[in-house]
Parts: sequence; C-alpha cells; structure tokens
Amino acid sequence: MQRNRPPSPQTIKVLRALAADPAQWRYGYDLATEVHLKSGSLYPILVRLADRGLLDTSWEPSQGSRPPRHLYRLSTAGREFVAELTAARADRMIRNPHNRWSEA
Amino acid sequence: MIGGLFFVPMLCLLGILIAWYRRDPRRFLDGPAEDTPLRLTRWAAGLLAPQRAEWGQAMLGELGHIEGRVRRMRFALGCVSAALVLPPWGRAAAGIWTMIVLAAGSVVLYGTMADHYRLGGGAWIVAAILTVVVTGVFLGASALLRRPGVALPGLFGALIIAVSWLTLSGFTFLDQLLPDTVPWHRLVQVIVLPFAVGVAATLWCRDPVAGRRIARLAAIAGSLGLYVYTTVAVAVIGGGGPFDQDGGGTLRGTISDRLANNMVLLAFTILVFPTIGWAGAAAAGSLLRRTPALTSAGPVTPNPESQQEA
Repeated sequence: MQRNRPPSPQTIKVLRALAADPAQWRYGYDLATEVHLKSGSLYPILVRLADRGLLDTSWEPSQGSRPPRHLYRLSTAGREFVAELTAARADRMIRNPHNRWSEA
Repeated sequence: MIGGLFFVPMLCLLGILIAWYRRDPRRFLDGPAEDTPLRLTRWAAGLLAPQRAEWGQAMLGELGHIEGRVRRMRFALGCVSAALVLPPWGRAAAGIWTMIVLAAGSVVLYGTMADHYRLGGGAWIVAAILTVVVTGVFLGASALLRRPGVALPGLFGALIIAVSWLTLSGFTFLDQLLPDTVPWHRLVQVIVLPFAVGVAATLWCRDPVAGRRIARLAAIAGSLGLYVYTTVAVAVIGGGGPFDQDGGGTLRGTISDRLANNMVLLAFTILVFPTIGWAGAAAAGSLLRRTPALTSAGPVTPNPESQQEA
C-alpha cells in the first residue's frame, strides 16, 4: 500500500521549481542546481513523485556521442497537487500570519 | 596514540595501491571516456532494482552532460547514495548493505572491545590493520556485487558456509572460544564447504565465470560473517569460560588472545575460502566445458560478460 505522507520541504522546492513553468521539460541536473539539492536527494524525490503520478517523464534523444537525457515536468495531477499545496499554504498564512518560519 | 600513528603508514600503503591501480594501463581498455564518476554511476545504476532501471539510465544520461571533474564526481557520489537508499532495494544494494553492516560491525566491535578492556596500543594497531583488511574486503565484494546475478546466490552461499561452519563447531558463543578437536570438522569447514559452494554456483549458473564470482563473494561474505559472530562471542562471553594460558591467565590477556585468534581465523578464511571456492568453480567449469549438453540445457541465460574474465 502506498503511503501519501506530506511532502518534505525538499520535495516542495522541487515541485515549485517544476510548477514555475509546468509545460517545460526540465533536466535533472538543472533542477538540482536550481533547488540546491544533490543528486542523492533529487533522484529519490523524482522517483517518488513519478510513482505517485505527479511527474511526467520523457527521454530526449541522444546528441552525437552523448547519451539520451531524461526529462521531467509536472503531470496534470502534479499541477493540481501543487495548486492544493499553494492554497493550503495561503490558508495557513491567513489564519496564522506570524508563523512564517514553519512554512516550507 | 600508537594506533593513530599506525594509521598513517597504513593509509600510505592504501594510497600507493590506489596509485598503482590508476597507472595500470588495463584500466584504459574501456576507452578514454571512462572516468571514475562514470564508473561510479554505472555501479550505482547496477545497484537499482530492475523496476528502477530507467532511473539508472537517467543518472547516466545526466552525467553525460555534466562537465568538470569535481561536478561529475559529486553527481556520481550522489547517485550512489540515491541507489543505496532508493526503495525497493535491488539485490546488489541489499548485498552492499549486508557487507557494510558486516564490515562496520566487525571494526566497531573490535574497537569497543579494545576500549572496554583497555587492551593498549597493540590492539589499536590490530584495529588499524583490521580496518584496512575489512575495507579491502568490502571493495572486493562491491566489485563482485555489481555483476549481474551474483549478489543473491553469493550471499546465499555465504550463509551456507557460515551456518555449516557453526553447525560443526557449535552454535553457542562458548563453542566459538573452545578449540574444536574433531579433525574432520576442519577438513569439511575449510575445504569441502567452499569447494562445494563453488561447484554448486557454477553448475547452477551453468556459467564458469559467474560461478567463480559467486564462489568468491560467498567466501568473502562468509569469512566476514564468521569473524563478526566469533567477535560477538568474545564480547558476550568476555572473560567467561576457561582463561587462556596463552594470554597469561589474566582477563585482559585472555580477551586479547581470543580477539587475536579471531583475527587469525579471519586472515585464514579470507585467503583460503576464496581460493578453494574458486578452485571448485573452476573444476565445475571444466566439467561443463567437457559436457556441452549441460551448458545448453540450462535455464539461466549465459552471462554476456562471461567473455571478460573478472
């Protein structure tokens, strides 16, 4: 049975980075650089998001001698999930405007 | 203090061995594009469970577009840590964790005993040697574990070796401290068991190269497992049982002597088990070559790496 635990702050960072331009395919290394995560943290997050159906993945064809590259973007479910997260955060901020430090 | 000083020459020796390996021209056989980060990432990809294989390819693909040695190395190390924690664990990752637990457990146990009984500088020198030996054993096992189809049978073989050894010598901790005086027990434990595992591995795989790898992994992991068990025995029994005359009849001397006996056992088994296991696998491989019907009838697909000797 798959557990749907609340996303970690790192996962939220990745989701927000992907949600900045949901239609755009992103590379793993660029995502890691943007959200300041190491590959050891990023890949488990991407795998979990893909397992939950929140992430679409694709392959970019290889260029010359370089290997094909994996691409990521939010799925429709992923976009809805980020919208829910944003709404929940806004709701918490309205109810408790001084508790900003606890927000991821 | 003395133990700390001893670490320096041991680390120097390790550095010399690594430098020697790096200048070995055989490592360039795969082509100039092969660098350490790529090897590490390939190894990490091999640790992943089959259903995660795509993610291993994703890591390799990403590495192919990263420039700079430091960046590539950091990315590759991250991939290794991801592969080790990413559920579900592949067999190789489970094997690596098993070896990490055994290796770290053996060193920590020895260090704890040396500290608890205040065994002195000599014990810390032995701890330094043990650390180097165990690190070498772990690296050797890691190289074998990344090969396809080796992890599970290798660890199963190790279990058979360890359990059979304990069945003959006795399962209790006190049995581990008392000498086994039945002559044929040693013959079975040292010769028959690893040889049988090597033969069984080759016949089961129907691939002599895979069989030799399984036999070596079983021997290495079995040796380390037995060492951990016997050291746990010393930790539990402590000064219990008959005091050892070789240790001067004192508690500290007895503990020191028992730990030293375990070290000798580790050194002996780590050399003899793989050799005998390799011989068993090679003998079975020779049998396979003489009877081609055996190789063609097997359910296991021959390993494509069989052409390359490990």
